[in-house]
Amino acid sequence: MEEGYSSLPTSHLLGSVPAAVAEDKTGGAASESSSANLQSFPPANGGYQAPGSAYGGDEQATSSWKGVCSISSYTPYFNIDTDIVVDRLITSVYPLNDFTRKIDGNPDMYGPVWISTTLVFMLAALGNCATYLMRKRNEPDAVWNFDVTFVDWAACVIYGYALAVPVAFYFLLQYVGCNASLIHLWCMWGYSLFIFLPSSLLLVAPVEIFRWVIIILAGAASSWFVAQNLKAYTEGSDLMVLIVSALLLQFALALFIKIFFFM
Amino acid sequence: MSHGDTIPLHPSSQSDIDEIENLINVGPATVLPARPTSPPRASIPVSSSLFIPSNLPPPAPSAPAAAYQKAPTAVPPSVPSAESSRGGIAADGFGSPPNTLTEPVWDTVRRDLSRIVSNLKLVVFPNPFREDPGKALRDWDLWGPFFFIVFLGLTLSWSASVKKSEVFAVAFAVLAAGAIILTLNVLLLGGHIIFFQSLSLLGYCLFPLDIGALICMLEDNVIIKIIVVSITLAWSSWAAYPFMSAAVNPRRKALALYPVFLMYISVGFLIIAID
Repeated sequence: MEEGYSSLPTSHLLGSVPAAVAEDKTGGAASESSSANLQSFPPANGGYQAPGSAYGGDEQATSSWKGVCSISSYTPYFNIDTDIVVDRLITSVYPLNDFTRKIDGNPDMYGPVWISTTLVFMLAALGNCATYLMRKRNEPDAVWNFDVTFVDWAACVIYGYALAVPVAFYFLLQYVGCNASLIHLWCMWGYSLFIFLPSSLLLVAPVEIFRWVIIILAGAASSWFVAQNLKAYTEGSDLMVLIVSALLLQFALALFIKIFFFM
Repeated sequence: MSHGDTIPLHPSSQSDIDEIENLINVGPATVLPARPTSPPRASIPVSSSLFIPSNLPPPAPSAPAAAYQKAPTAVPPSVPSAESSRGGIAADGFGSPPNTLTEPVWDTVRRDLSRIVSNLKLVVFPNPFREDPGKALRDWDLWGPFFFIVFLGLTLSWSASVKKSEVFAVAFAVLAAGAIILTLNVLLLGGHIIFFQSLSLLGYCLFPLDIGALICMLEDNVIIKIIVVSITLAWSSWAAYPFMSAAVNPRRKALALYPVFLMYISVGFLIIAID
């Protein structure tokens, strides 16, 4: 039902937010109507870009950045369909190394936001499950209580990592002169967390050696993904230190997940 | 007086000024009581039927102003009038229709309760209007959702044996922030919904989970809890599905629906696991 709610008269309803302009109703990734320049975030010059500027040859004279509080300024980053999201998720797991090419024209924020949220809830829920199973196995008579603070810890760690690490690398890359886009980095790091979802399902099994094997494999795969894609952004200059540090950070996250939630 | 004004007043202001002049000039003894059949009660003797006919439109059923006059009530709808006596005459200011400003508190409470019940029937129970998004929740309100969220948080908190306040905080935060974020998600994906109508709907769809949480609080067996929560979870998702899926482009339907399921599944898990 495409018309949905669009035909309702809404002016008499208090507090109604005008719906985002449906400029991208027909388009997928190749829509020219999404006029925000997706290469730089936030758009420079308060959103105005002169024709023929150096930012990717955008023909539009103005971008759609209407300020921090307007929904329509973030809509271009959610201009994505279900099948594209699924394709990107599969690419993040399968070591084929063309993820950067896929998100080049249309980096999305839907994936990072919902992958991290799902991971927060899964870690909290499955961490409690795993603690319960381990406790039942070792001391069958011990009383176990649901630990709600797992949710707090999971939220802080996962959201903090997914937000802060790309920002730090963005500034580092700018400092050394590479031109990287923050949105692409957020997108890439967000999708790199996807592999922890099925692996956290497997980590519930109360066999310690099995858990370590799983987390080492998942951590290695995720770190490899991050390193490969970061290399694509730093092409030309030899910044092995940055790439290695990104790899180690991702692996440290994997170890933290195992040690804190599944011990 | 209003006759000497050179600036023509808005018709509603004029009628309100006339009403107030009427109240001031005419003594209390000459004004008929609002509802002749109610027992004698210490209330301001104002008539709701003898006012100068104002130019105001009849009170729209979705006027949120009426909702701010009272506190929400418990599920067994036995509200003592003394509890809500503080909100008898609301300070709505000019522009509100006279009969909701001065009606008895019990009438306001009853009207809001009946609105909650009718919205609930529209959203959660099968009815012929479900497939028509224009009809569902035209008359949205936020008291129902607020009550259901608080009730769910309280039930989970009562069920928990340790860290009760953290449990309530997590449940309330997840549900309240979750409703807002889900609505924003649909808007960002290019969908067309009204913000508060969507918040209202997501709150009403929590009603089955409320029932599930109540049953799980009284029941200790884990298997039964899992069955009850699965059934109520499916019910909640079924209630929310037509609204959410109609609001976005069909190619993005799954993207809009997945976070709804995620929120309900995580709340369902919280219900099962709290003991």
